[in-house]
Amino acid sequence: MIEYLIMIIIILGAILALVQRDLLKAAILTGVPGASMAFLYQFLLAPDVALTQAIVGSAIIPVFFALAVYKTRRMEE
Amino acid sequence: MIPVQLASFFTAAALILIGIIGVFFIDNLIKKVIALSFISDGVNLFLVTLGYKPGGIVYIYMPGMSSSWFAQNASYPLPFALVLTSIVIGASTLAVMLAIIIILYHRHGSLSSKILED
Amino acid sequence: MKSLIALMVILPILCGLLLNLLHKKDRTIKILALTVAIILPIIPLIASYGAYYFGGYPPIAENPTIAEYLPAYITRSYLVKFHPAITYIFNSAQRIFIFILGIVAFLAIFTSLNEVKKPSGVYSFLMFMATAAVTAIVLADDIFNLYVFFEIAAISQAGIILSSNIKGSYKMALRYLFLGGVAAPMLLLGVALLLGAIGNVNISDMIFAMRNGLIDQGNPIFLTAAGLIIFGWLYGSGLPPFHTIKSGLYSKALPHAASLIQAFSVFTLVALGIIILRLFYYIPVVRWAIIIFSIAGMALGISMAIMQTDFKRLIGFLAVGELGYIGIGLGLGTTMSITAGLFQAVNEALVTACLFLGFGTILYQTGISEIDKLGGLLKYRPGVAGLMILAGFIMAGIPPFNVFQSKLMLIESAISAGFPELAIIMILLSIVTFMTFMKAYYSIYLKPEPRGLEVKAERIPSSTIFSMIILLVICTILGILPQLATSQFGSIIHGLL
Repeated sequence: MIEYLIMIIIILGAILALVQRDLLKAAILTGVPGASMAFLYQFLLAPDVALTQAIVGSAIIPVFFALAVYKTRRMEE
Repeated sequence: MIPVQLASFFTAAALILIGIIGVFFIDNLIKKVIALSFISDGVNLFLVTLGYKPGGIVYIYMPGMSSSWFAQNASYPLPFALVLTSIVIGASTLAVMLAIIIILYHRHGSLSSKILED
Repeated sequence: MKSLIALMVILPILCGLLLNLLHKKDRTIKILALTVAIILPIIPLIASYGAYYFGGYPPIAENPTIAEYLPAYITRSYLVKFHPAITYIFNSAQRIFIFILGIVAFLAIFTSLNEVKKPSGVYSFLMFMATAAVTAIVLADDIFNLYVFFEIAAISQAGIILSSNIKGSYKMALRYLFLGGVAAPMLLLGVALLLGAIGNVNISDMIFAMRNGLIDQGNPIFLTAAGLIIFGWLYGSGLPPFHTIKSGLYSKALPHAASLIQAFSVFTLVALGIIILRLFYYIPVVRWAIIIFSIAGMALGISMAIMQTDFKRLIGFLAVGELGYIGIGLGLGTTMSITAGLFQAVNEALVTACLFLGFGTILYQTGISEIDKLGGLLKYRPGVAGLMILAGFIMAGIPPFNVFQSKLMLIESAISAGFPELAIIMILLSIVTFMTFMKAYYSIYLKPEPRGLEVKAERIPSSTIFSMIILLVICTILGILPQLATSQFGSIIHGLL
């Protein structure tokens, strides 16, 4: 049952990240699908992928985006 | 209720679609890169779902399992190995793109995709 | 000497990494880069044919010591023929492709070391890295390994553009990466569909499974996978809809880098095209798609070349247009047409590299790339002008040079396959190519010199002229003795038909 919930969170998180006007919020919100995907991989019997995805998807990629926003501008023009 | 594998395929397809729509219809460059990361996430999820076995076990061979039972019940690890590589490649491409965007922003003072036109 | 096969990929990667470590030691960098660059075309000549298994795991059928311990239901099934390791296949066709790629890479790196003031930095690293990636694409018999190197090639090419310091290069690189960010996952999705249908990523195993009835060939999954892989192929090779970005890429690179990047496009087109044909030969739509995209590439590339006022853009579009000939050869799908297409690929990699280097000398002398502002350059360097007109003749297909031989074979094969219309299109576009080239050549070299044109007194480095002469000599040799190349393609075509 929880798998379906995670899938819905992934899709909603992706859409929410793309409709934000505040780029920093969008950057942080990319971590939501990233982290939920790590859980989903665990339920799909792929623990090693889940480990990698947990680090890359929920920490590294949002930090990359946040750094890029920090070095450029926060609000979309 | 539809099975987990099928639902997961639909999630992957939805992510890819959201990504493609985002890449082509969003003006902001950083958001375009976010959309690109969703495309590669979707493809990764698709690959992982291929290796999933409904009601199966994780593909780690423990002592005491009979090998034929393990072969019938374990998930298929080849796609997982591919996804590990793919995640890392995706993250590194993304870093290169963001670095270029930062440089372009300092030159043009804008994040709109109009600065990409000649 | 099977380990030499892996060395073809590993050596340039190692050399590139080492060059990065030796920052600022210009002399050492020059010597190391040149040594490795000379070795690159030599390795394929001395390596022996065969398959290289990474990690040393051959198929179980070839490894009886493992087979002893396996239950009978495995050793009696088809599984014993499947390849558990990443496999590289090296045969006569791969040998000639990697040899030509090595020659072009060597000449490009040699010229760049002499033209670029500071050889330390990421520039030569990226050139080695991309060469390694394209070599791996040619060798790989494993479709996921191919995807990985496809991505590496795309990033390294974007990096080469970034380090060129030409105005607008950052925008071009970002656009190239954006398109790559869509196209590469599509290629991976195609790989995933094939993996889901067959359960393995080795191309030979996939073909074995499809041809021997282990899997239903008519499954629509295969058509979808073919479409997705063709999309990746179009991106990698620069056929429409990616022709604008690819020609822009050539024009934003330094001339020697452009001569290398066009060779990457040619060999990516050939390697992936052959894989598409091997996997999906039985689907007629696939071959039609290849032919249609190739014709579109020829027509769009050449007609856009006519309109350009910048000779770097012009030659970029001409290079894209010439790619279409290769695609038509592959798409027609007869023994003769595929031989002709592969031969055309080899010839085009050589001639276009020479043209890019030659146009680089104009840029080196004047720093101007608009055709209208140039003129009367003949009297400054008549030798280079002579080499350029020769290269133009070769590209247009004037006998007795190599492109004449391959275009003749292409036209003959189109007629014998029952498509005389294709032959007519190819002849017409060949004439238009020649006229476009001659028009640019006239206004750069022969037209009276416009006022205010400053030509630097600095001599063109003799390494550039040496590279151009080497390329033209190879073209002439292949033109007189085409069987040197054409007899090598049997191994691929035998596996195809």
